Amino acid sequence: MTSNAPAARGGPLAGVRVLELTKVWAGPYAGKLFAFLGAEVIRVESLESLDVTRSFGVADLDKAPGFRAVNPQKLSVQIDMKKGEGIALILDLLQHCDVLIENLRPGAVKRLGLGYDAVKAVKPDIIYVSMGMWGSAGPLSYQTGYAPCFAALGGVSALVGYEDEAPAGMNVRYADSTYGTAAAYAAAVALLHRRRTGEGQFVDVSAVECMTSMIGDEVMDYTLTGRVPVSAGNRHPDMAPHGAYPCAEGEWISIAVASDAAWQALVTAMQQPALATQYPTLAARKAHEAEIERRLSEWTATHDASELVATLQQRGVAAAKSASSVDLVADAHLWTRGFYREVEDGGETRSIVGPSWTMTRAAEITHGAPKLGEHNDYVFGELLGLSPDKRRELADAGITR
Amino acid sequence: MSALRGYRILELAEGAAGEYCGKLLADFGAELIKIEKPDGSATRALGPFAGGVNADAQERSGLFAYLNTGKRSVTLDLASDAGRATLHQLLGRVDAVIDDHAPGWLASLGIAAQTLDQRWPALVACAITPYGQDVPDERRHAEDLNVLHASGWAFHTPSASDPQRPPLKGPGRFLPSYEAALDAALCVVAALYERETSKQGRFIDIAKQDVMASRVDYVLGQMIAGDMDVSSNRRAFDLFGPAGIFACRDGYAYIWMSAPLHWDALRQLLGDPEWMRSFPERWLERECTPERVAQCRHYIAEWLKGELKEDVAARAQKLGLTLVPVNDPSDLVDSPQYAFRHYFADVAHPVLGMARYPTVPYQLSATPARIGGAAPRLGAHTQAMLKELAP
Repeated sequence: MTSNAPAARGGPLAGVRVLELTKVWAGPYAGKLFAFLGAEVIRVESLESLDVTRSFGVADLDKAPGFRAVNPQKLSVQIDMKKGEGIALILDLLQHCDVLIENLRPGAVKRLGLGYDAVKAVKPDIIYVSMGMWGSAGPLSYQTGYAPCFAALGGVSALVGYEDEAPAGMNVRYADSTYGTAAAYAAAVALLHRRRTGEGQFVDVSAVECMTSMIGDEVMDYTLTGRVPVSAGNRHPDMAPHGAYPCAEGEWISIAVASDAAWQALVTAMQQPALATQYPTLAARKAHEAEIERRLSEWTATHDASELVATLQQRGVAAAKSASSVDLVADAHLWTRGFYREVEDGGETRSIVGPSWTMTRAAEITHGAPKLGEHNDYVFGELLGLSPDKRRELADAGITR
Repeated sequence: MSALRGYRILELAEGAAGEYCGKLLADFGAELIKIEKPDGSATRALGPFAGGVNADAQERSGLFAYLNTGKRSVTLDLASDAGRATLHQLLGRVDAVIDDHAPGWLASLGIAAQTLDQRWPALVACAITPYGQDVPDERRHAEDLNVLHASGWAFHTPSASDPQRPPLKGPGRFLPSYEAALDAALCVVAALYERETSKQGRFIDIAKQDVMASRVDYVLGQMIAGDMDVSSNRRAFDLFGPAGIFACRDGYAYIWMSAPLHWDALRQLLGDPEWMRSFPERWLERECTPERVAQCRHYIAEWLKGELKEDVAARAQKLGLTLVPVNDPSDLVDSPQYAFRHYFADVAHPVLGMARYPTVPYQLSATPARIGGAAPRLGAHTQAMLKELAP
């Protein structure tokens, strides 16, 4: 009999098994990081309460682009979570897992009979990762929201905007993936603790707090000085000029001048050396920032963004083109590093977004996202050791498909 | 005991990325030995400043105080032979090293991916840089601003960008650094996990550009696979609809609307106003035209400017409408939910005094994270460390 078990991929978390009861983006992102570090990550999916990203914009559940983007290298098992037998099956499966990640609506796991106490009863050393907008308990934990709500509540949105205007906030896609990463880190810490002591635990992650953690020093500004920080366009207290400036063809260049030497290099490139003597220090540049930005913009506007980046880099000035989505997918460095990479996906080759790291003895990343229930045979047959008769019975009852 | 107690980690970093990574590890009880050049880490020169103008200049940085809680400070001149010899002694006694200097800097000290197995076989080495150790020459000079632009986030921020106005940098000064620190800490802990049995170290190369680009994998993954169009449009990452930030009487609120249940909740909240009746019942999903979005936003703006942000959010949430206040740091310090979770911790610093510090966004039942004391004075632990290393 040939095994349905996934091939060994190596990596630091090889041998770790993660079960996901997740939806949309943040929970799946945490699971993806584990998969990229070598863990075996199994998504429990239920046709009866399918993740919207499985069906969004497509008729074929196995071809949903959003789902495929966030779930490479995972396994999928199909279990009806609306039936008691399905929940019992998940509890059986959890006895073979090290980590559970859930980001269902507040209270949902408890109603399903899959809360921490229930899981701990069958798997005492489980690492149970609970993800909620405000965390799992407290006066506001009943509230729900989407990623831009996390950013608004956590203090990020208030700090993004044009000077003297209402806050504009980060792009609407921001927050879920940051939140997923924080959850993955906390879970990895708990795993390491378990390896050293045998003890599992409950990990309770708050999306809103994740956002505040991304502006920790701004919050410290308030708690130390009483100043409430506000959005200030692209300005920076320690650098000037610091911003995005228009180039030809509607493109933009980002320039950050962190030293007087870089400023001299910039004005030399601009062929306006007098600016160096006029505004030799950060204090002088901050005092005349609007005027400097005006002159800089006049100069950049006549140039091609990429050529200007090359010119400034040669002179030692920190500069980068503001990348559009065309620039991003064509970024040769991202391909060279293996950030974009090709994997096997249903007999075809597919390009995916890989990990943010390279490391020695890294996990291999070989496969795209799973088809719905693609790994039922492995999970029910090999992990749970269910007989063919039993599996047929479960399938006939609609518990599995 | 907390989870990382017993691990010794050497921090060579002096930027927000490496120092925040070290802090994330220190909060779980790891022993963080921070190596500082004789005049101190670069972050000591960055604000916010407090503690009075007469205080020691190197100890007035609120940024340094925040990023370096629970660490020990050892000054070492790595430009000198003696300094490097001490560093090499230390490297033999630690489990991991964290750095965020320019690519190649760690290699110049003898720590590199290619030679780690020979020279420091049990060391976990993690370097955080803007574009990775293999940076092309034309990207050698980069600040966090540039990374945010190279990753695509800035070009697409804010949502519904006006193509005539500049893309925005994101919140504060260090978003890519904080984000990269999370990935770095995750990889370091994963490497320590495997090392428990293999006894082998590992070289980890974190690129901030890749961290930020991976944060938009839901969109970028579709683009790289050919499932979503790429373009030079500033709105290529956007979702469309009336969602957005609106002014209230006492600040701002964010409202999200994408489904009929949100529309119904809004109708209930507003008492079935005349203007909503002119919209088709399921317009948000099926007939979300720019004209309707603009009209809807106009009425929402008119309504919200007379409301109080906390009050209207609480009423909306009860009806299932996703409306939340846009909080600033003062709101966060006053948040009952943050108080419930003890998100802020009071830390006494010898120069800055007592202040509230943000902690971490996860609670671990068996091994909670804790701030292990105020940030160290420059070189506070140099003598003790040299004594420990003496033969």
